[in-house]
Amino acid sequence: MATPVTSGLKQVKPILSLTHVEARRKVITLYKTWYRQIPFIKANYILPVTKEECQQKLREEFYRHANVRDLRVIDMLLVKGQMELQEVCAQWKPAATLLRYWKQTEEPKPKDFMSKFLSGHRE
Amino acid sequence: MLRLPVIKLTAGLQNGRISVARLHTTSSKLQQELVEVFIDDKPVQVPPGTTVLQAAAKVGVEIPRFCYHERLAVAGNCRMCLVEIEKQIKPVAACAMPVMKGWRVKTNSDLTRKAREGVMEFLLVNHPLDCPICDQGGECDLQDQSMAFGSDRSRFVDINYTGKRAVEDKDIGPLIKTIMTRCIHCTRCIRFASEVAGIDDLGTTGRGNDMQVGTYVEKMFLSELSGNIIDLCPVGALTSKPYAFVARPWETRRTDSIDVLDAVGSNIVISHRTNEVLRILPRVNEEINEEWLSDKARFSCDGLKRQRLITPMIKINGNLEAVEWEDALVATARAIQNIAPNKCAGIAGKLVDAEALVALKDLVNRLGGEILATEQSFPKEGAGIDLRSNYLLNNTIAAVEEADVVLLIGTNPRYEAPLVNTRLRKGYIHGEQTIGLIGPNVDLTYDYEHLGQSADIVTQLRNGTHPFSNTLKSAKKPLIILGVDQLMRKDGAKILSETQLLAQTLGENTKAPEEWKVLNILHTRASQVAALDVGYSSTIEEVKEQQPKVLFLLGADDANIKREDFPNTCIIYIGSHGDEGASIADVILPGAAYTEKVATYVNTEGRSQQTCAAITPPGMARPDWKIIRALSEICGVRLPYDNLAEVRSRLEEIAPHLVRYGAVESANYFAQALELSKQVPGSLSSDPLEVKQETLDQFFMTDAISRASQTMAKCVQAVIKQRESNL
Repeated sequence: MATPVTSGLKQVKPILSLTHVEARRKVITLYKTWYRQIPFIKANYILPVTKEECQQKLREEFYRHANVRDLRVIDMLLVKGQMELQEVCAQWKPAATLLRYWKQTEEPKPKDFMSKFLSGHRE
Repeated sequence: MLRLPVIKLTAGLQNGRISVARLHTTSSKLQQELVEVFIDDKPVQVPPGTTVLQAAAKVGVEIPRFCYHERLAVAGNCRMCLVEIEKQIKPVAACAMPVMKGWRVKTNSDLTRKAREGVMEFLLVNHPLDCPICDQGGECDLQDQSMAFGSDRSRFVDINYTGKRAVEDKDIGPLIKTIMTRCIHCTRCIRFASEVAGIDDLGTTGRGNDMQVGTYVEKMFLSELSGNIIDLCPVGALTSKPYAFVARPWETRRTDSIDVLDAVGSNIVISHRTNEVLRILPRVNEEINEEWLSDKARFSCDGLKRQRLITPMIKINGNLEAVEWEDALVATARAIQNIAPNKCAGIAGKLVDAEALVALKDLVNRLGGEILATEQSFPKEGAGIDLRSNYLLNNTIAAVEEADVVLLIGTNPRYEAPLVNTRLRKGYIHGEQTIGLIGPNVDLTYDYEHLGQSADIVTQLRNGTHPFSNTLKSAKKPLIILGVDQLMRKDGAKILSETQLLAQTLGENTKAPEEWKVLNILHTRASQVAALDVGYSSTIEEVKEQQPKVLFLLGADDANIKREDFPNTCIIYIGSHGDEGASIADVILPGAAYTEKVATYVNTEGRSQQTCAAITPPGMARPDWKIIRALSEICGVRLPYDNLAEVRSRLEEIAPHLVRYGAVESANYFAQALELSKQVPGSLSSDPLEVKQETLDQFFMTDAISRASQTMAKCVQAVIKQRESNL
């Protein structure tokens, strides 16, 4: 007689949030904290970006994970967001590193044969 | 002449050593009984006649030495290898002393250590303390061994250097720098010169403290193998002149690669730093170059930095102008556009790798062209290039020394393939080889029978009307080496066919083993065998007849390709150096030299090997096959490979042996090739057989790289100067 497999379906332990509603509330709180911090970041760092651009980037970074549904992943991102905020508030992160959010100098690497050939990219 | 018939070997020539050991191996009965000796109480069974040093090497104990070298005769004069033997009063020189039954050798006893310390002390008394400015520093045997075995304190009190020995430096040519005060009289250079190089110029004068190594009269040491005495010298007495004060061994990086300046495919190590080739050293490969290297391969590396093509160029208003890759490729594609079938051709040069050859063949075929030629054409009559046995050194390079009678036809192996010539010389000295030569009377560094210069001597030898044919027919292991240059003659096919007939006659007569192959072709160009393997069958005459609209010169720098022959052709040159080929081109696409690409080459015996990229190509130069691949995409006939692995799988499709690196792919179908060659029409012409390189000055500059090298130019000057001095 077949017995249902139960061992693989173990309930995982939550990290912070028990429900999606709770997770959503926490995300919005984090977002707001970041949003309110932007003027202070601007004051602490010398950044060649405006306040609006910072707000825009903040939205982008949150929307980048808009499709995440797994509670544990959301919690993980929340913790990372919190840590990042702390690094910025305490100015542990230098301005150049902070500017990596805008990736101004990064060029995509050549992928196909012709562009590799012309750019002199060597394997 | 150094030829010692006493040491005629019965037990096969292993590594050409003339040693005391060999004298004892003449009896085959003795050979079977092994002698037990104890090296540091470790028992080892060795054949009688083995020296103490060899027996010690067998159990992994290395005895220090300066004068002993395994490929040279034993001299036994440095005394560094003294070891104690139990129950003997005096220490013995391990390199020269054959072992006796039950000997207990102590390589690390107090007596041995004291003997070494004493020898070191004596050597250092007369050796200058100039290690900081010595080029050998870091790879010096004397340095290493004085650290390991020397005394930790000095009794040398002459701090004003009043009595220290000093010797005048000698000028022995543009390649070797001598600082003779550093010499410790190991005589390795002298032994190499007389045994391997066959130039008996070096020797010693004086005795005791006044002993000097030199050339007696002031003359240059001019040999095609002279660079090897730099490697052999255990101290800094002989160093490389072009490499003087350039770098220290610990600051360079080393890349294992293959030499492509002749068709032997010697294994080399490229020493480089900061994207610059500093020097080239030989790498041991017993089957090809042993541990020697020809001077052209070793010293022409400065040619890699001169005359290089670094940007693509297009001819605008009659002048070649540097352009970007995009422009050059588009201009080329425009020339190729709407080309009629069979109006596209390619000629491959000397130094081209198999990857580029295959890519060019694929491109030309896709553009509807069929004519692909090599600079050195191979006759089409008979089997042509269809059967590989027709164009390989079938018997392998290593087996050349085993032959008892060798017939050289229209070749000068001394300059066409110096490391094949060392094998012949080895066979001559140690194996009683008889050598006959048809062709110009050249100096091969050993005695040979000069049979004449006309091609029909081959026929006479077969008919038995020539006096040498008896020698040839009574040979147990006869060998025929045919120079590939002869096949470019009008009667080339006939010469090949006659040689094949002679080889077959000899093969039937002898009782040589099954795998012994009499017929051998000696190539002079590194790219040739690979080109013939992938099917570059046309001749330059056919290309001229066809008058293609577009002609690809893939590193083809031969002087017989002239602009006048192609009045209405767009010539596209792909190669590394600005030489003959680039000067007649309409478009120049800069390629990589052999030190800058990972590429496949097949040597004259059919052994496929690969070079490794030590440095990156200069400027905008790219590996050759990539240029062809990029061009194909712009032309709209994209070749189906994007990376090296894909090109190599294409190589494998065409000829699987091309990617079996290190292995010889031997040829077969000798009988069939012979049958086909019997149909070759025509007769032998009465012109005498000529070789391109008769004297040493013709050896140094033969291709784009060596022509661009200053060192090689100095060598040519030195040889001419030497000849005029009548010494």
